[in-house]
Amino acid sequence: MGNVKGLDLIFNPGSVALVGASEKPGKLSGKILQSLRSSGFKGRIYPVNPAYGSVGGMECYPTISEIKEGVDLAIIAVPAPAAIEALRQAGGKTPAAIVVSGGFSEIGEEGGRLEKELKEIARREGIRVIGPNCMGVYDGFSRLDTFFITEERIKRPPQGKLAIMSQSGSFALTVMDELAAEGVGVARVISYGNKADVDEADCLDFLADDDRTGAVAIYMESVEDGRKFVEAASRCSSKKPVMAVKVGKAGAGVSAARSHTGAIAGRYEVYRAAFKKAGIIELEGYEDFIGGCKAFGMQKRSSGRRVMIITDGGGVGVGLADACAEMGLDVPPLNEYVKEDIRGVFPKYVVVGNPFDLTGSVTDGMFAEALEKTMEGDAYDIAILAPMWGPPFLTDELVEFIAEKAGIVKKPVLICTPGGEYTRKRMGLFHKAGLPVFSTPESAVRAAAALSKGASAGAKAGGGIYG
Amino acid sequence: MDKKETERIVKEALSLGRNALVEPDAMEVLRLNSIPVPDFRVVKDVSAAIETAGEIGFPVVLKLVSPNLLHKSDVGGVAVGLKDSKELESRWAQMILDVADRSPSVMIEGFIIEKMAPKGLEVIVGGINDEQFGPVVMFGAGGVAAELIRDVSFRLAPIDRDTAFEMMSETKCFPLLTGYRGDTVKDLDAVSDVLMRLSAILEETDGLREIEINPLLVYDKGVLAVDARAVLG
Repeated sequence: MGNVKGLDLIFNPGSVALVGASEKPGKLSGKILQSLRSSGFKGRIYPVNPAYGSVGGMECYPTISEIKEGVDLAIIAVPAPAAIEALRQAGGKTPAAIVVSGGFSEIGEEGGRLEKELKEIARREGIRVIGPNCMGVYDGFSRLDTFFITEERIKRPPQGKLAIMSQSGSFALTVMDELAAEGVGVARVISYGNKADVDEADCLDFLADDDRTGAVAIYMESVEDGRKFVEAASRCSSKKPVMAVKVGKAGAGVSAARSHTGAIAGRYEVYRAAFKKAGIIELEGYEDFIGGCKAFGMQKRSSGRRVMIITDGGGVGVGLADACAEMGLDVPPLNEYVKEDIRGVFPKYVVVGNPFDLTGSVTDGMFAEALEKTMEGDAYDIAILAPMWGPPFLTDELVEFIAEKAGIVKKPVLICTPGGEYTRKRMGLFHKAGLPVFSTPESAVRAAAALSKGASAGAKAGGGIYG
Repeated sequence: MDKKETERIVKEALSLGRNALVEPDAMEVLRLNSIPVPDFRVVKDVSAAIETAGEIGFPVVLKLVSPNLLHKSDVGGVAVGLKDSKELESRWAQMILDVADRSPSVMIEGFIIEKMAPKGLEVIVGGINDEQFGPVVMFGAGGVAAELIRDVSFRLAPIDRDTAFEMMSETKCFPLLTGYRGDTVKDLDAVSDVLMRLSAILEETDGLREIEINPLLVYDKGVLAVDARAVLG
């Protein structure tokens, strides 16, 4: 079982020691220091490096052990053999460490031996270790940022409710950059690399009880202890949505398999079975992952799979309906009572139905009105709004109109707005209003499907605070 | 489930250095675990085959038993629907020639004479013991093209009846089990029994890496496992 207290300090330390701190611009540790200082992290920073008396205007310590106070978290960014020594010196001084350094099991046998040594020291000294060969943590609340790529190249997302877990550091970075651009907030981002100590199950154990995390997205290459993972993920998914993408699907099937079952049961099928058991929402590929993050980061899990489509472009409306059918979502027709109600308020030329086509004479108010009238009551679980920006009476205020009604209907609202330059600029307005926006019908519907898959998993597990 | 006897069969095969059970042993494991199998005997020569077939009753199936051949039909090691002793005798001779021709390294340990099962819907059920996730069970569209068609669904063991039904309903072949175009509704409960038992066998038997029934014939009432394999290790 994970030491939750130890993990809490990894995300929310009062003080950190940066081993290998340096002012040299090319050094990883230099970049980490830059990230730590520019992110708004309020805790104390202790640079550690025997070569300097001070780094960046801060007193620099030759070793961790020479820091007088206790340190909550050590960030170790020196070559592998030195990292082992640094961890040893951190014994008794800190309960947690992030070992950024590479040169461990990922490089082969020699590295594997070093990793084993690292693991033993961690166990002996009672230090919870993230890594090695990782980028560590970005925390939307404590503002701890150990990623050695600066914000100039990769933007950090705002504070929010999403937790991202990734074996790969570069994937975590890319997702952060995408989410920052989409205005999706995060609570915790963690890149755990080789998982010598803290693994997926430990992270899930922590995130399950973490009040600031509302949904978890995992980028997964491989799991070592499958059953432990399934157990932790089941517990987490009973409390909040957990989604995952598994990469490396093409890998060889079960080794030396000889029955048909063995031959068909490639690694991916087994992972899918594990995801099902654990109540994890399976995402397929990069786009789906970002879409799922947008949907769960900005909206909540839907309570069913009935979709209402509202648009001012009949063609895209039909495309959305087709995509819904493909993804197993329902697009039930409007009931007669609601139809009558709508006909009384709207001009004669609108096509009242589902999809609801407001036509080229649409106004900002009509979109908002249509959203409210169709989504009140219990006929639909999710709304997809697809404004095409050609019609002359639509203005930028549409976004505020929709956002206000979205707050009232209390069900997931997704925006699908395909188009070029003018349209793309409008997407940014939706980001600011906290609405997930997609540029194709297919991506919007896939995200809606993810939200609804959460529904069945949640229902089975008895819901949860984010249910 | 007869755990002890199942384990004995697996242990004995492992002690012989085998990486799979021969089919009669695999069928025996199923039988011991309450999975219905047709009446079958193992014979060494053609006269015993004819005598046994007479006792079981024609029509029969003739199958090659070999410790180093997992997919018999690929090399002509299966002959079905043999009506009488004359046909049995001629197909016996043909089988030996075919196998010698197509796969000369195959060791022939004997032959199975099996009661020919009535026509039923063919599905595949199986399971593997995964290194990371432990026992995993599979349901899918059966037959020799199962690998090609890949209409399958997997779950981590153990599974309950609801999960077994979910697995079946996830496959494209599911409508075939529920009365497709005027056909009868098949015995879904019997299929889920088999899935749950396979899941239990995998969980409780050391040394068993894969087990599979292909095809499992599904009837309006009941099922029959007419072909089985089990990989060890």
